[in-house]
Amino acid sequence: MLEQLLIFTRGGLILWTCKELGKALKGSPIDTLIRSCLLEERSGEVSFNYEAYTLKWTFHNDLGLVFVAVYQRILHLLYVDDLLSMVKESFSEIYDPKRMSYDDFDETFRQLRMEAEARGMTNGNHKMEDDDSDKTNGKENTADNVVLDPSKLMKLRSKGVRGRGGVRKTDSIGNKSSKVAAAEPPKKATKKNRVWDDAAPKQVKLDFTDSVDENGNGNHDHVDIAAADQGESMMDKEEVFSSDDESEDDDDDELRSDEKKPEAKKKGWFSSVFQSITGKANLERTDLEPALKALKERLMTKNVAEEIAEKLCESVEASLEGKKLASFTRISSTVQGAMEDALIRILTPRRSIDIMRDVHAAKEQRRPYVVVFVGVNGVGKSTNLAKVAYWLQQHKVSVMMAACDTFRSGAVEQLRTHARRLQIPIFEKGYEKDPAVVAKEAIQEATRNGSDVVLVDTAGRMQDNEPLMRALSKLINLNKPDLVLFVGEALVGNDAVDQLSKFNQKLSDLSNSGTTRLIDGILLTKFDTIDDKVGAALSMVYISGAPVMFVGCGQSYTDLKKLNVKAIVKTLLK
Amino acid sequence: MENLEDLKIMAEQWSNRGIEYLQKIPQDQLYAAVGVLLFTTVLLFLSIRLVRRTKSNTVLLSGLSGSGKTVLFYQLRDGSSHQGTVTSMEPNEGTFDLHSENAKKGKVKLVHLVDVPGHSRLRPKLEEFLPQAAAIVFVVDALEFLPNCRAASEYLYDILTNANVVKKKVPVLLCCNKTDKLTAHTKEFIRKQMEKEIEKLRASRSAVSTADIANDFTIGIEGEVFSFSHCCNKVTVAEASGLDGETVQIQDFIREHIKP
Repeated sequence: MLEQLLIFTRGGLILWTCKELGKALKGSPIDTLIRSCLLEERSGEVSFNYEAYTLKWTFHNDLGLVFVAVYQRILHLLYVDDLLSMVKESFSEIYDPKRMSYDDFDETFRQLRMEAEARGMTNGNHKMEDDDSDKTNGKENTADNVVLDPSKLMKLRSKGVRGRGGVRKTDSIGNKSSKVAAAEPPKKATKKNRVWDDAAPKQVKLDFTDSVDENGNGNHDHVDIAAADQGESMMDKEEVFSSDDESEDDDDDELRSDEKKPEAKKKGWFSSVFQSITGKANLERTDLEPALKALKERLMTKNVAEEIAEKLCESVEASLEGKKLASFTRISSTVQGAMEDALIRILTPRRSIDIMRDVHAAKEQRRPYVVVFVGVNGVGKSTNLAKVAYWLQQHKVSVMMAACDTFRSGAVEQLRTHARRLQIPIFEKGYEKDPAVVAKEAIQEATRNGSDVVLVDTAGRMQDNEPLMRALSKLINLNKPDLVLFVGEALVGNDAVDQLSKFNQKLSDLSNSGTTRLIDGILLTKFDTIDDKVGAALSMVYISGAPVMFVGCGQSYTDLKKLNVKAIVKTLLK
Repeated sequence: MENLEDLKIMAEQWSNRGIEYLQKIPQDQLYAAVGVLLFTTVLLFLSIRLVRRTKSNTVLLSGLSGSGKTVLFYQLRDGSSHQGTVTSMEPNEGTFDLHSENAKKGKVKLVHLVDVPGHSRLRPKLEEFLPQAAAIVFVVDALEFLPNCRAASEYLYDILTNANVVKKKVPVLLCCNKTDKLTAHTKEFIRKQMEKEIEKLRASRSAVSTADIANDFTIGIEGEVFSFSHCCNKVTVAEASGLDGETVQIQDFIREHIKP
């Protein structure tokens, strides 16, 4: 049974609700739908799940109306899509921008609903079998479904005690990663040298680390102190980008897109030119397709993951279908404008990324601000940790590093060198210790000696590696950091989607307490190696909903800057 | 030097020819032509000046998502909030004379009221409307004030340090909405809290001032605790209740700053 059907304007005013189904909805499903789905450019999705309800929607882009149907999730009502389109048609006939109440629509709606239900009954018997198979596929939680379901991301955030339920699923994946688990043995049993002949092997000590005392004052000689003389971190420099070559690019684009679609043009060249002048035609799906296809290909050449580009184009299509073309504009420029708006919306952070403010807030509460750097192998966690430390230090914040990468050889030394150069304290316990415990002790130490920020370095891990993800989850649950920063490189392609979604999934599955911590921010590294293929930023932000807090653009301490949204959007659509 | 001489001679010849031509035209036609010219230039001047003045009758309704801007918009426009609202995805604009002003006599200037969505993803929309704003109403939820205090103060700080607002000294009204509820905070409390938060923001933002492209200016006086009286544009505080229709203070504010 349908719970509720609403009609509201894009500006937020509710025009009509069904008074027959007058049940009040639990929670605020409509607001959540708008915030987590429609404003996140996922309007191309089929449906949205919120607690016990499923929501389906449709737009009337010309009049700026949204039609939303809410029903119980356990029921599979098949007539909702039909009903929504019928309601859309009949309501747009009586809609008047000046009228605010539409009580006469009740009768029309009742008839439409009965009609749709009757139609649904007859077709229902065929469709039931297909639906069952879909359901079982959905429950298996394969990679594809997990990735782009916005309701799953919502659920991950608000999940309560679900740690136990996750164990079942993880067992199957655990078998897959038995090969990768070979990485585990070195932790437990040290490797023995292979003996080729009978001569007694010399027990050569393989640990060349200098003997260090508590404070790490091992080898001072050739380490120079970087302090503040490397200059200003690029975080503090204004970004200068030229806006003069914008017009030239637009002309080039039009020429290029003209060449690309000669077939579509031949069909209705005169009529499309006429329409673009008068601007009266309603945009149809067939009109939008060529422009959207060209746009999608352009995005993919800029290293945006294929699924993300697809979803974005669907969302833009949903928002443009049925809209009236403004006069003297071509379809391609309307589509481009809509895509630009969508991209700016996605890349604009949802919450404030003012780290200094958070640090001050934590300082007032007399506790250190803890940042954990996570990511796959080799993306630049340790290097960028040092850059962030440098930047914080320049702003008179006392920093402490915690070397929780107890696995990779040389990781602790690497951090030690950075710490020495920057003159900041480092907390380390050597190798083969439990990272969660090391982090806990580091935070206690920081509280004791009054450091404002603790930067925790973790070992790189593949998103499929079950035991390592469990260890990471344990670290985060035990220490409750203020910021979980996912470090991703800008060179990554389609794998960005997989990495981020699996990290989020594992972090939520394996959390045991009430509050699930997901990835709070993204640090994009190796930005200087890509020229204009900046699509990885978009893929990562879209799939996780977390803002890009820093961008690493080089290998020295000053190469850290903020993300310039307008520049990125311009580069993506060039 | 010869070229200059030649040019001089040519110019003299042309001016002589022109004077002869002018003298040939009958006097009254000449006067008529000059009169028409003067008249059109005067008309142009007046129209430009009028257009420039009528541009600034825009009042912006801004604030965090869920503070009640859309409800207030419809209250001011129609006198009722109809069947309720949801999170806005697009701005609501309307040009009208304030609802209860119909009773007043005399020439009433139309007010262009714009309700800008408060959701953080739609923040760039506010920047589109700020250049044309003549007054800004910043709506704050007095009921759920403390959890949102930081976000609200950051938003207000961004508005108060915007180049357009500072240069044109746009007046700002800090409106505490939902005061019909029992547990809503008073406007004095909200004002003090916002001042405190903005003071903290001032400290942290000025540390990164060269990089913060968003904040063009800093506000307040160096060395003193921030207070709204330090702003060069006028900032006042008022109370309102969107659901009850209690919008008198907002209307007074609008009428004060949008004069016909």
